[in-house]
Amino acid sequence: MIAAAILLPLVGGALLWPLGIRVTPPRRRGVLGAGAISLLAASLAAAVVAAVSDGRLDVVWSSQLSLTFAADGVAGVVAALVPAVAVVVVAYASVHEDVRGLPRLLGLMVAFTGAMQMVVLAADLLALTIGWELVAACSWALIGSAWSSSDAVGKAAHAFNATRVGSIGLILAAGVTFASTGSFAYDAIGDVPRPMLDAVAAGVLLAAMSKSAQLPFSPWLFSAMAGPTSVSALLHSATMVAAGAYALIVLGPSFSTVGWFGPVVTAVGLATALVGGVVALGEVRGKRILAASTAAQYGLMFAAVGMGAPAAAAAHLVAHALLKSQLFLAVGVGMSATGTGDVHRWHLGSRMPTVAVAAAVGALALAAAPPLGAAWTKEQIVAAAVTAGPVPGILAFLAGLLSAVYALRLHLLAFGRDRTRPAPDPDRPDPHRVEVAVIVLLAVASAALGVLWLPGAREVVEGLVGGTIDAGHPWELVLAVVLVLLGAAVAVWAVRREGDVLPHRLADAAAGWFGATTAAQRLVVTPVLASAAVAARFDDAVLDLPPRFVARAAGGLTSVLPRFDDRVVDGAVRTVAAAARAASRGVTRTLELGVDGIVAAIAAATTWIGDISRRGDDRGVDGAVEAIAERIGAAGTQARRLQTGLAHHYYVIAVIGLVVLFGVLLDT
Amino acid sequence: MLTASILVPLLGAVAMLTLRRTSEPTQRGVATGIAAVPLLLLIVVWTQFDGNGGFELIEQAPWIPSLGVTYKLGVDGMSLVLAVMSALIFAASTAYPTDLRGRGHEYYAWMLFLEAVSLGVFLALDLFLFYVFFDLSLVGMYFLIGVWGHGNARRAALKFFIYTLAGSLVMLLAILALYLATDPRTFDIPTLIASQPLAGSGLLGVLAFWGFAIGLGVKTPLVPVHTWLPPAHVDAPAPASAILAGVLLKLGTYGFIRIMLQMMGEQYQRFAFPLAVIAVVSIVYGALVALGQPNLKRRIAYTSVNHMGYTILGVSAGAAAIGLGDRDAQTLALTGAVVEMVAHGLITGALFLISGSIWQRGQSYEIADYGGLAARAPRMTAATVVAAFASLGLPGLAGFIAEFQIFVGTFAVYPWLAGIGLLGVVITAALFLQVLQRMFLGDLPERWGDWTDVGRVETASLAVLLALVIVIGVYPRWLLGPIESATRAMGG
Repeated sequence: MIAAAILLPLVGGALLWPLGIRVTPPRRRGVLGAGAISLLAASLAAAVVAAVSDGRLDVVWSSQLSLTFAADGVAGVVAALVPAVAVVVVAYASVHEDVRGLPRLLGLMVAFTGAMQMVVLAADLLALTIGWELVAACSWALIGSAWSSSDAVGKAAHAFNATRVGSIGLILAAGVTFASTGSFAYDAIGDVPRPMLDAVAAGVLLAAMSKSAQLPFSPWLFSAMAGPTSVSALLHSATMVAAGAYALIVLGPSFSTVGWFGPVVTAVGLATALVGGVVALGEVRGKRILAASTAAQYGLMFAAVGMGAPAAAAAHLVAHALLKSQLFLAVGVGMSATGTGDVHRWHLGSRMPTVAVAAAVGALALAAAPPLGAAWTKEQIVAAAVTAGPVPGILAFLAGLLSAVYALRLHLLAFGRDRTRPAPDPDRPDPHRVEVAVIVLLAVASAALGVLWLPGAREVVEGLVGGTIDAGHPWELVLAVVLVLLGAAVAVWAVRREGDVLPHRLADAAAGWFGATTAAQRLVVTPVLASAAVAARFDDAVLDLPPRFVARAAGGLTSVLPRFDDRVVDGAVRTVAAAARAASRGVTRTLELGVDGIVAAIAAATTWIGDISRRGDDRGVDGAVEAIAERIGAAGTQARRLQTGLAHHYYVIAVIGLVVLFGVLLDT
Repeated sequence: MLTASILVPLLGAVAMLTLRRTSEPTQRGVATGIAAVPLLLLIVVWTQFDGNGGFELIEQAPWIPSLGVTYKLGVDGMSLVLAVMSALIFAASTAYPTDLRGRGHEYYAWMLFLEAVSLGVFLALDLFLFYVFFDLSLVGMYFLIGVWGHGNARRAALKFFIYTLAGSLVMLLAILALYLATDPRTFDIPTLIASQPLAGSGLLGVLAFWGFAIGLGVKTPLVPVHTWLPPAHVDAPAPASAILAGVLLKLGTYGFIRIMLQMMGEQYQRFAFPLAVIAVVSIVYGALVALGQPNLKRRIAYTSVNHMGYTILGVSAGAAAIGLGDRDAQTLALTGAVVEMVAHGLITGALFLISGSIWQRGQSYEIADYGGLAARAPRMTAATVVAAFASLGLPGLAGFIAEFQIFVGTFAVYPWLAGIGLLGVVITAALFLQVLQRMFLGDLPERWGDWTDVGRVETASLAVLLALVIVIGVYPRWLLGPIESATRAMGG
């Protein structure tokens, strides 16, 4: 069942793309939509069955490598959540997105979900790494959906590269765990001794931070906005970004003995929650407000894990997935209806009342207004923060206030009513009924999550996720409600003054994540590119020098040798050469005589040989010297030839030389 | 069977020379048919292979008994998979269309000659035979680059030839040192592995070891003796590039394991760390220089330096693990290194074939000259995306299986080096995404308005290589089994 939950969407999505292209465009929406929904629904069903039956799966690759998957506890819950959200988003995409690219888009979205299922169901670090990277690759292709735009593709690469930095952490964690325990299993992490465990913890944290867009990685989320709205809806709620927090929820408890881990995770999470909240306040474009809020909400989940409440983080992950996917889809409808992403100019409340009401549920959930489920999950995180100490407590309340302001400000601007201004472009299409139905469905789901407030829900969540959730004090709830009301007041005030909350200079700084964007550029991207250019030049100019020098030296030697040749040896050589010429002339003439002259030729040759040997005898020692000189001369000629490129001659010489050397070595 | 897989292409090479008057498609068809025979033979060999850790299916005949030289072939898990991979790359490269300059019969003769001698290197169980095949491979490649290359082909070919020949001469001295330490004198590889002739030999062993390191390091190539590689690749015809990267570089890394690790275990354990450092430098430096290249083929060439760095890191970590008695890390690191050879052969082979198709259509390797090719060439784009992601180590594709094992194995012995080496993973991701972005995605320049997609033969060749990349990435068990049988047995 686990295999089906992963492979049906992963392989099915990969097939849906090429098969989908064969479907004629008018029928694409229906056929491909149905195909994508069935694949995801099948994955959902398989995941539920696997979760109920506590399924396990082992894939053996070799005696040392095997992939293990399990659908127990939190994995089972999230494995059902992911395809459930994806089904809804894909249904929306099949009517909302451009029909030409639909086969690719839907195929990749389904595969993306399958890759995320792999992350969720993984029970060892190898399986996790594989799913982790496949999620990243799918998101690259999805963010770059508008592939003929260099800008979109560049932003897709930004998202991929930024999260790739985190993948190093995961491989590091896997390597260290294996080195210490001989296994990749999650269960084995507990056996890793310190300080190796610190390295594993650091690796997992780095990976989770990059994936969940925590500071300083947050800016890639803005780049990811280059993708279509449906992609954003999926990427921010149930896949990609969720993978980071999910991994931390599952693995975080293993690091309870690592002293620094909890405080650092809490600090990163709360910092991102606050900064993300401010960034969201400064934005005017709907998708970017939601993107900044995503970073902030995952920051709260990080903080929960850091403060020892992973169950609260898991519950918040579920609530956030439902509300965030819905808000993205609603914003997508608004963008189609208005032709702009700037929510200042929307005020769509009277034009699409159903969507406005449904989106209000999502916005209130994001603002953590009771009795919505998201408010309960947020309260558990705040309670954990208050337990952890006054500083995290105050910061968590502050983050809550910010989320109330940006969520309600977004809703009032985008889906509020404003009779004073005309709808911007009445010619644009009204939302498709499937789009409306989907947005309403998600609103119902968010509202239904309110069951979490019922007595006994806490025990159910604890039972599913594991760990305990501290019951908060009543004053915390009161304070939280007061803050939501305060946030609502600020939002209303902001909308009255054209929707701006932050002073312009602060808003500008916030848009760049207070320097995180430029810091990444200046501290990483530019130096790496510059050093690559320098290294490339260095390689050509310096590392290639020794061989070039040797080549030139060899060239020099070969021009010296001939000179030596001419001056010293030549006299002797010329004599021999003259003899050789005479001989060759003799031979040539002999051959010219033809068959009849063979006898004569042999006679002549004999005479010639006799002549040579006699002369050799006469000269005695001189002759031997000359013979050596001749050889050196020949070598000089060969060397000159080498210069002209006849390398095989050189090769022959080299081999001869080596044979001689070989002989000498054998003799010794 | 093994002899036949060397002999068939060798005789085929001679036969090709008689096909002077035949049309080029016929020449190509005949040559591809001959080139595929060793592949089939070696697959049959694979089915007969036991995987007991030693050498199997040995074929031998006396050759020069007075010197202890025999004609002896055989395989273990490592050489078997490398030979099969090489035969596959030869078949795909031979089939790949390229500009033959009206001398197709000679071109294919050299290709088949090169296939015979390359397979010979992997299959030889006699060090003398190994060396003969090793050096003959230079000759074949020299002519393929020099005659059918473009740009400054002769110069590049000469540089390749002399540089790597110098390397192999150094190696020859080391071979002789090894040989002279045997008693009775023999070149027999299993005997050399079993007897460790230079163990405890002091300076001579050290010199011989570094002789091998230099000789094989040039071939691999490792930084800083890699500068022959980029010009050779850039000016070579694409199928020759694919073979150079896919097969010939593996001769060097294969020697690292077969000779240095297996015959000189003591020395390798002693010098594992400096070699691992050189490997990490190759990984990071190779990736960085690749990122700085505006020329596609040079960029791919430098990623070979990067990937061969991974391989040598794995081998060196494996040697260190043998020294520590850590059998798990040893097997993981060495298996990773061998898988990296296979994966790099398939992936980089495919990348070079693709760059050849680009050259045939655009007569330029400058990345900046292109853009938006996906609009005209979806099949070419798909192949490049798969190959690029495989090369940057994406899970689900072959490169990941290799690199993951290498890194995990290395963590056990050199955690810091493994950590630094991981930086290469990020840089390769950036440089390949940049290639995809600048050449295949974005706007299509007007001059490429009539760009044609890859044809049927090109598609088939690429599909075979990349399908295997995916199969290995998804279910590598059939590959890891034989390799592990060999790597686990290394080091006694």
